[in-house]
Amino acid sequence: MSNKNYFSSEHLASHFEAIKPQLPGGDVKWLETFRENCMERFLETGIPGPRVEEWKYTNLGLLKDKSFEVSENQTDIDQSFIDTLSIPGLKGSKVVFIDGYLSKTYTSIKKEDEIILSSLTDLVKNNPDRAKALFNNHNSASSLFNLNLALMTGGYVLLIDENKKLAEPIQIIHFASQATKSNALRTQNFIEISSGGGAQIIENFVSLNKDFKWRQNNTQITLAKNASLEIYQFQNESSETLHMAETYIDVEDEADFKHFSLNIGARISRTELKPTLIGKHANIELRGAFLARNGSSHDVFTHMKHMVPEGTSDQVYRGVLDKGGKSAFQGRVYVAKDAQLTNAEQSNKNLILDRSAEANSKPELLIYADDVKCAHGATVGELDQEALFYLKSRGLDHKAAKALLVEAFVSEVFDDIKIEPVRQKYLTLARDWLEQGE
Amino acid sequence: MLEIKNLHVEVDGQKILKGLNLKINAGEVHAIMGPNGAGKSTLSYAICGKEGYEITEGSIFFKGKNILELEANERAGEGIFLGFQYPVEIPGVSNMNFLKAAINSIRKYRGEDEMAAVDFLKLIRAKAAELEMDPEMLKRAVNVGFSGGEKKRNEMVQMAMLDPIFSVLDETDSGLDIDALRIVADGINKMRSPEKAILVITHYQRLLDYVVPDFVHVLSNGKIVKSGDKELAHQLEKEGYAVLGIDENAA
Repeated sequence: MSNKNYFSSEHLASHFEAIKPQLPGGDVKWLETFRENCMERFLETGIPGPRVEEWKYTNLGLLKDKSFEVSENQTDIDQSFIDTLSIPGLKGSKVVFIDGYLSKTYTSIKKEDEIILSSLTDLVKNNPDRAKALFNNHNSASSLFNLNLALMTGGYVLLIDENKKLAEPIQIIHFASQATKSNALRTQNFIEISSGGGAQIIENFVSLNKDFKWRQNNTQITLAKNASLEIYQFQNESSETLHMAETYIDVEDEADFKHFSLNIGARISRTELKPTLIGKHANIELRGAFLARNGSSHDVFTHMKHMVPEGTSDQVYRGVLDKGGKSAFQGRVYVAKDAQLTNAEQSNKNLILDRSAEANSKPELLIYADDVKCAHGATVGELDQEALFYLKSRGLDHKAAKALLVEAFVSEVFDDIKIEPVRQKYLTLARDWLEQGE
Repeated sequence: MLEIKNLHVEVDGQKILKGLNLKINAGEVHAIMGPNGAGKSTLSYAICGKEGYEITEGSIFFKGKNILELEANERAGEGIFLGFQYPVEIPGVSNMNFLKAAINSIRKYRGEDEMAAVDFLKLIRAKAAELEMDPEMLKRAVNVGFSGGEKKRNEMVQMAMLDPIFSVLDETDSGLDIDALRIVADGINKMRSPEKAILVITHYQRLLDYVVPDFVHVLSNGKIVKSGDKELAHQLEKEGYAVLGIDENAA
């Protein structure tokens, strides 16, 4: 705790001591020990400050003196409201979290998914050995990842057997209510897909809180040989939310991981994606857009680790920054000495709609192999005035012309999505966001 | 239909048009010729309302309305169309969506309902066929990866779709081979009617063999220095701008 680059985090230690007994599995000895170990690991450094290079663009100073509460008492919500958070036309299982706790009322798991999809707290109860094994694999994770493990109130676990491919995408809804008695929401998820298996997951984050809430939603993923996983994230949290999502992905031979994200809400959002290619011919695609205005800020941090030869990775991120909006894209690509014939690409383009907006882009290539293809591109620009005039000369008013150009700029990252209702949802959310502008 | 009086236009503080007068009636086709730098493109942008083209003096009336107070899109709504010398590429926006947005914006300006999707599709297929455009190009992003000729043809499809009352065609013939030139000329000729008018801006006489103008004007140093009929264009082609005392390299 002596490191001055980190914020003092003792208040989180006291918070932990206070709520420990009421955390799910509080009566399970091994879990208690596990939580304590994680807390210790978190406290070795604490909350990173802006002088920590990776946190240069996102200041977590607002967490310094906050007190936190968690409560399992769930606010009553209409089924119809939950339906509005779902993507129409999809028939798969649905897991609903309210204020960080899994809601048995709204969660509906299809019979065919019962064995593979479960609540983390149920797994701890029903299959402690399996749960222990999952928890065993996070030693190198960040301090905040450890904090979340210490304080988690739930999560989902998806364990897919060999060669099993899910027929329907699974929807995960993370909802935060206005209730002030829960202002720290922490979920931890685990996904393990055995060789040849495959799944698609849609994660939707929505909140209505008018007071500050801190959400952490972290995920640990393992993809065995030839497995595939697609994750589609929507982050549309209230403007008082600090949203953090950190994901570690281990990818084995010929496995395929695709991640799409759209960040339009929250006061501060931080999306961390940390894939490690540990098997040959693994393929990773990360695609995302972040749109910010009015004091909202998005920070996307990726750390792509090519550990073995012949892997491919591709990252495409688009930022749109309107009046008072801020963003950062930090894309680190590490290619180990042995990871020859790696093909790693990265592109981040940002569009500034107002001179008060700020976009930061920081590609970071650490390449230790000598026979690789690594490309990166980063741009920050304004709307093309010639294109704007062209559209206006054809009858589109300024707002419509601008919207069409911005939508085109953003939609590129969602073009390849095969699940049409999901692609539509991305476009609709982006369009709505644009319409809210001046 | 269009009346320009004593038009002075500055771009970045530089005087480009210096007292231009031009009157175009319904049913007429006018051609403006002139050396590079005479102010031909500036005239087209001033008529269509591009930002950065500052009108310091003079007026432009379209169908009795002072259009200098209107935004570019409002001028389009009034029925003015500009065929660009360099059509702009718009990645991510398909030709189809672009035209749908354009047509419905203009209809909205005129207080009309949106065009039904079926009618729109019928119309666009018919217009593309008339102008010999591959229907596949309608699905592609606006002008992205199009050849020079394809871009100009695309301008003609847009013009045919939007069906303007008054069209300004800025060097629509530049960079076209003879086949493309013929198609573009056909497109322009289809717009000729007693209720409409066209202003063709060109450096060369070539296009005017296909689109025969009623009047030809020579623009030099920001003013119209000579007007005549189609013979004037032939004379310029033969003898060059020098007969009019214009040094073509001065600009």
